Amino acid sequence: MNSSKNPVMHKKYLHFPISFFAFICLCAASLSAQDWVHAGTNLGNARIRIASADFKPVGDDPQTPALKATFDATLYNDLSNAGIFDMVSKSLAPQETPGSPQEIHLPQWSAAPANASMVAFGALSALGGKLVVYGWLDDAGNAASPVVLTKQYNEAASQEMARTIAHRFADEIIARLGGGINGIAETKIYFVNSRSGSKEIWVMDYDGQNQHPITHLGTISLSPRVSPDNSRVAFASLGKEGWSIRMFSLDLGRVVGFPGGTAGGNNFSPAWSADGGKVAFSSARSGAPEIWVTDANGNGGRQLTSFRKADVSPAWNPKTNAQLAFVSGRTGLPQIYTMELDGSNVQRMTDGGYAISPSWSPNGQFLTFSWNRKYGPGAPGGQDIYVMDIASKRWMQLTHESGSNDFPCWAPDGRHIVFERSSGGHAEIWSMLADGTEQHQLTKGGSSFMPNWSWK
Amino acid sequence: MSTLYEGEHLEQELAGESFAAPATGSVLLHIGLVAVVVALGLLRGLFHPATWGGPAAGGAIRATITTTIPLPNDQPPNQNVLATEHPSPAPAPPTPAPPTKEAVDETAIPVLGKQKLSAPKAAPKAAPIKEPVKPDVKPTPNKQPVQKPTNKAEYGEQAANNIPRAVQGITTPGPTSITEGDFGSRFGWYVNQINRKMAQTWNKFEVDPRTPKGARVYMTFVVARDGTPSSVQLDKSSGSPTLDRSCLRAAQRVDTFGPLPPGYGQSTLNVSYYCEY
Repeated sequence: MNSSKNPVMHKKYLHFPISFFAFICLCAASLSAQDWVHAGTNLGNARIRIASADFKPVGDDPQTPALKATFDATLYNDLSNAGIFDMVSKSLAPQETPGSPQEIHLPQWSAAPANASMVAFGALSALGGKLVVYGWLDDAGNAASPVVLTKQYNEAASQEMARTIAHRFADEIIARLGGGINGIAETKIYFVNSRSGSKEIWVMDYDGQNQHPITHLGTISLSPRVSPDNSRVAFASLGKEGWSIRMFSLDLGRVVGFPGGTAGGNNFSPAWSADGGKVAFSSARSGAPEIWVTDANGNGGRQLTSFRKADVSPAWNPKTNAQLAFVSGRTGLPQIYTMELDGSNVQRMTDGGYAISPSWSPNGQFLTFSWNRKYGPGAPGGQDIYVMDIASKRWMQLTHESGSNDFPCWAPDGRHIVFERSSGGHAEIWSMLADGTEQHQLTKGGSSFMPNWSWK
Repeated sequence: MSTLYEGEHLEQELAGESFAAPATGSVLLHIGLVAVVVALGLLRGLFHPATWGGPAAGGAIRATITTTIPLPNDQPPNQNVLATEHPSPAPAPPTPAPPTKEAVDETAIPVLGKQKLSAPKAAPKAAPIKEPVKPDVKPTPNKQPVQKPTNKAEYGEQAANNIPRAVQGITTPGPTSITEGDFGSRFGWYVNQINRKMAQTWNKFEVDPRTPKGARVYMTFVVARDGTPSSVQLDKSSGSPTLDRSCLRAAQRVDTFGPLPPGYGQSTLNVSYYCEY
């Protein structure tokens, strides 16, 4: 009798958990990742509406169409990535391909549907292995004197040079129309990539093209930082002395000596000052990790912090070269602090959570860092990129609900930020505008980390 | 025998009670309770003593929808260069009160030698008859004519502009105006860039919110060949010192407007810019 009743009772007791689980599943089906919309009044000014026309092919060299396609695409992408233009899409542009200011009909470009206020156009020809490009930037609203910019380029005919010329022309346009700030089309991003088996330092164009390795050390190399004059890359590497700061000379193509970066075997995260004269890094040679500063050759090491908890990840103020932002664990969880170059006036920036990887903006006003506010009082969330105004300590969250975002780095125009996004063990490098919009993935393959944007 | 008893007892304990009947009874009781609560609520609703929101006293307040709220208009300041001739209306002072007669206290006991009571009884009889008849004519004394103060404010709405202003060749509409004649027509894109950069750096929150809408402050600065502004000066104040200061600070905050166009021959550019609140 007992055995006959027990199975019945077991089945009844199972009903409740099954129905409860089904109820939860039903509720969970309606939850999904939120879309984010940025809206507001007076968010920046009206962008300049620019049309990037297809350049006119001159001559019948067989290389010209392929080079022209690369050039047109690269120029359009550079101008649209700049963040200051409202691009006229190619489908709205008039059908003509003007090759010189005499050939262009500006009223066509300034009328609907193009409504362009600026037009970039020109002629491209590949003759005898030389790529010659003539480029003009015209003000479509000014019929009397439309020409704003005229440029001429003459380089070897190859896909890489077609891209380079497009980058240069785009940079000229951005510098002219962007209020004196140089464009980033010719800048590079240095990063860590492990697809060769070990983590090496790689470099790529700012738009993700032309990725190739720099170091071939066969050991783990982290946090590359290029010098302001693009001559050297400082990075942390695991050698027989432990972790040390090493210098790779881009001019010589090999590792050069950096004596100050080895002692203690626990040296990480180098950072160049904006004049290229000093390198700051974190070193545990005196016990706990502290911020040290040496000159660019590795001599004259000086300790800046002396709190017994860890002080790591220094970042210079590029405008004044007299302040450093760093991460300190002196209150428990890592927080962002700033201090003067002599170690005085330590100011705390974040009020809780888990904040790491600061990067100081080129105009000296903002800090970007990776922050997880879930640890402390505040809204729950993951590791996201934030921008903070240093004077008022007001911050803005740039990434939402998209994996773990870390290692942000400002672009030299102060308008873009590159960062690492990792989810499920795959890490990629993304770039975005400094307000969190226009996020583009730059790498593929799931093995790219710790990006660093070059200074020019 | 005892083991049998224990066994039966144990079997009864382990057998478990059937709970079908009590369970259904419990469910029915709960349903009944809920039904009673719902029924009471419905019944109360049907026979509600007090009507909420009804027209009776203590009921709802009717709200009328209006399309406009009669707030005082924000008068934009007059952009006229000249001072106006319309004095602003200020209330005239009250006319001087006619000299009142000393109030005579009838109950007061006249102090001999010091005070004489006037005859209050005789005067009221004669007064209503005499005074309306008498014309109030007084011989005008021979004095210098005194200009009576009008007691209205003598200022206009607009402060007079004393700064001599050159004729400005305004070719591009907007806050920037260049004194060199044809710069705006040749390099309109650079003027737009100045507008854009200034609009970006101007912090409107620095201005006192009591500043009237439309108030404008004019200032001038000089743009060097590499685009850096200098000699930032206030040209015409808006009347609001916070607005003036915020506009000047915006120009000082700008690093560069971008290099001057190569087609422009001179080494500097004079710019007049206004910030409108």
